[in-house]
Amino acid sequence: MKFFAYLFAGLLIGIFVVSILLPTKEKPLYSDDELRRAALSRDMQTTPKTYEELLKLVDTKQNRLSKAKIELGKDLYFDKILSKSKDISCATCHLISKDQKDKKIYIDALSAKTNNKTDCIICHLSDQSGVDRFEVAVGDAGRENPFHLNTLTTLNAGLAKYQTWDGSVKTIEEQVGNSIKAKDQMNLSASKAEQRVKADDAYVKKFTLAFKDKKVSFENIQKAIGAYLKTLITRSDYDRFLDGDNGAMSKSAKKGLANFLNFGCKGCHTGVTVGGQSIQKFPLRDYNSIIDVTNSFNETQKGREVSHFNFNAKIYHPFPFENKGGFMGKDGDRLFRVPMLRNVTKTSPYFHNGAVKKLRRAVFLMAKHQLGMNLSDKQIDDIVEFLKALEGDIVDYKVIDKADL
Amino acid sequence: MKNINMKIYIILMFLSGVLQFSIFGLSWQYFRMVQAVHILSSSFVAIFLLLPYVNMHIYQYMIVKKAKSTSGVILGLLLFFIVASGFYLFLVGNRGSDIFGIYSYYIHLYGSFVLLFFLFLHAKKKVSNITKPILSTVLLLSISYPAVSYGKNVEKLTNIQLEEGVDRYHNEDWTSSVKCKSCHTKIFNQWADSNHRHLTGTNPYYMVMENLAAADKGDEFRQWCMGCHNPSAVTTKQKRSTHNMNSNNMPNFLFQSGAKELIGEFKTHGNSRLEQGVSCVACHRITKVDSKGNSSYSLDLTNRKKYVFEDSSSDIANFLSEKFINSNPLVHKQSYSKELYKKSSYCASCHDEFLPEPSKREIVSTFKEWEQSPFNNPNDPKKHKTCIDCHMTYLKDNKHSALKGTSTTGGAIKEDIKVHYFTGSNHFLSGLKSKEHEDQSIQLLRTSAKLDVEIKKGKVIVGVKNVGAGHHLPTGVSDFRELWLDITIKDKNSKVVFSSGKLKKDGNLDTDARPFMKVFADENSKPVGLFFWRYKKLLSDTRIPAGKRRVESFKIKNYKDLNYPLSIEVRLNFRIYPQWITDIVSRAYPQLPSPPVITIQTIKKRIAK
Repeated sequence: MKFFAYLFAGLLIGIFVVSILLPTKEKPLYSDDELRRAALSRDMQTTPKTYEELLKLVDTKQNRLSKAKIELGKDLYFDKILSKSKDISCATCHLISKDQKDKKIYIDALSAKTNNKTDCIICHLSDQSGVDRFEVAVGDAGRENPFHLNTLTTLNAGLAKYQTWDGSVKTIEEQVGNSIKAKDQMNLSASKAEQRVKADDAYVKKFTLAFKDKKVSFENIQKAIGAYLKTLITRSDYDRFLDGDNGAMSKSAKKGLANFLNFGCKGCHTGVTVGGQSIQKFPLRDYNSIIDVTNSFNETQKGREVSHFNFNAKIYHPFPFENKGGFMGKDGDRLFRVPMLRNVTKTSPYFHNGAVKKLRRAVFLMAKHQLGMNLSDKQIDDIVEFLKALEGDIVDYKVIDKADL
Repeated sequence: MKNINMKIYIILMFLSGVLQFSIFGLSWQYFRMVQAVHILSSSFVAIFLLLPYVNMHIYQYMIVKKAKSTSGVILGLLLFFIVASGFYLFLVGNRGSDIFGIYSYYIHLYGSFVLLFFLFLHAKKKVSNITKPILSTVLLLSISYPAVSYGKNVEKLTNIQLEEGVDRYHNEDWTSSVKCKSCHTKIFNQWADSNHRHLTGTNPYYMVMENLAAADKGDEFRQWCMGCHNPSAVTTKQKRSTHNMNSNNMPNFLFQSGAKELIGEFKTHGNSRLEQGVSCVACHRITKVDSKGNSSYSLDLTNRKKYVFEDSSSDIANFLSEKFINSNPLVHKQSYSKELYKKSSYCASCHDEFLPEPSKREIVSTFKEWEQSPFNNPNDPKKHKTCIDCHMTYLKDNKHSALKGTSTTGGAIKEDIKVHYFTGSNHFLSGLKSKEHEDQSIQLLRTSAKLDVEIKKGKVIVGVKNVGAGHHLPTGVSDFRELWLDITIKDKNSKVVFSSGKLKKDGNLDTDARPFMKVFADENSKPVGLFFWRYKKLLSDTRIPAGKRRVESFKIKNYKDLNYPLSIEVRLNFRIYPQWITDIVSRAYPQLPSPPVITIQTIKKRIAK
């Protein structure tokens, strides 16, 4: 009996010890800390938390940030006088609301007595995405982009090294000028823009406050709007994870981040903006003369093989989607600025001509044509979860002038 | 019976029980077997071996030998509790709602450790110095683990359950409804313009409301709406419902019949593009329902028995798979049609709706209304009418008349085809696409009520009887429906002496009307308007229950000076959405027309004196 009792007690303790030692959860490839270290060591960074940190990243000699300048830029961003027919402002296509603290914009827009918003904006303004979600950008007087290019987001654009789809523009101030002058965008000449702003005494006053030369010049308009754009930075779950909060991202998103690093996505989509830092060729792999049979026996991957685009039967396709608009990138060489992936979930449709509507498909195509990988459903799931974790709100920086810092 | 045998039995029961403890994380396939063995064998042992033995044992020692043993008494009591709680868990269960279940669970789990301790104490005359610390360590260890109760009282936003081992679906799992069209053409076309098809991206009212809910309660809250409106998006882990775009324009889906948009999409993208809303498989692959509502159904998309090439994207393979099905369609039929689909409780999983919070305040309770109505009469099959008897039966000449025909191209002729118009009160959105659908809905509305009217002591007294609906009139989102009496009384000279229930110039219902509806209010008794999820108090409920009559009386001013004879005209009017709601929705969808007013019943009467 005594033996039996001991045996049993020992057995019981044994069971408990084993149960403690046995792993109950699926063991991740990396621990959270390892994953974070891996990401940070590969030049993935968080967006600045405070205005001071922001200044370190975006303040340049040519365009010093100041409170007055940012406020002025904000006013100009939302002012329709900068378009030829005074119908659109920057914010018409780069959709955000002026007062970020106002959480009732949607409800107010629905119940407003007078409606000055178009139907799309009513629902999509609350996205705060900095884009219009259109396939092709529409400018002054309804003119569409001749290359069928869609609007790029202004959010985080101040942190990118290159601007626009082909990356031909280096600074955001330059791009502001281009957008105002372009025929298919705001369509307003530099002198006209100066004239219109000068006619408004309130603006003249603000310009004298914001600039040393106190002049209303086109260059200063560019600088002011540029300064404002540099404060449009988003922070997301991903940033909170990199800052050390292990609970900020889901398990699947972490796995997605690991895949993102391992597969090589981060090779181009890197830096603080997760993209926007280099110009690369797309598509890197040309499947035009290849008969792809890899998926012939795999029912779940059906419809995804290259032959789906009729590459082999029909004429040469430069892209793995319809070549609407015929844009061929920088120097006509299919060179594109790597798009920023922050807020990518809010900026569909995808690719330069908006031909791909769904994020999952975009992920699949990128892996196939840039990495030469056929991702499984599960791998796409995880990467999409990671991309969801990149979605964030605009940070409300406390803007302080440098003298006060 | 030897003591030692009994101990072995108890220890075996303990071991098989403790294996189910959540800390072991036993995989499901083993768990279910261990659980079944534990429950069945323990019941057997308890009834046939343990209880008779304990009985004998107590009799032998306490009554015959007059032995005194504290540990024995405690052991007996513990044994009683363990056995009782075990049987409670087995027969009633720990379903979360009753506190006994939760208590039983904990007693059974932790009590078993205590029981073991006293079993040894009881078996040994003297407890050695070594056993004590060992046993107390075991006890301590066992208590330090938190257990999981299987029914926590937290309301989820959606209650959709997927099959074992699947935590999400992919676009390809959701077979596009267009695939069903080639054989089930008629049914597909009925569904294509029905309200079930247009629950999500093609429904302006829904899209505005889902966005409003998200703006008010956060993005996560969308899942509450999407559980029923957009099961495919919920199960593929999408955050929101979306609408299609055609280059820079929204396709004109409001007036487009036959789901052309969907067919076109399937042609270009195959099954890789998700079909949002309630598709064929969304209903026809439901395997289990719980009638509590808020999308309380179980789906199983992956364990379908599929014929060869059924999922193929190539035309030839598709053609072949259809031939395979047609040559022996039994398995296909069994995969997509179940006896369950004829029951009202099946519909209840979505047509009952409550707030996803502990209060569980009821927003829509159509199924519960039906349960208490005379239509729910399972003992008398002639009087028993389920949801599909009215809402999926063809209507002709304002009457339900079973449609004879085939549901499959070339199929057997059936006496009563269950048509997929999903006829309900919403004649408007489906009516924009198809006159047939509008006509079916209006016919159904006209079967619902009867009017009577009289004048007494200067009052017009109108009775409305709910004769046709197996639920309240109106039901569904009855805070957003308008059902009211439009009354006109003219005197001898055709001069209007009394009127009520007219529309104002802006299209809204005049304030003197008394619509049959329920009004939700927040905690300050302020009507919630569109924000029905803020519902805290019920301000009023003037709906008409099934089979009941409701009387409204209106005072006529100066009734003594009237010029007789009077002619009275009373109409029972219905409008699917109040004008103010349409005004709001058309902000975001300017192409949306205003819904018309439908007259359900009219009664005219002349009163001589």
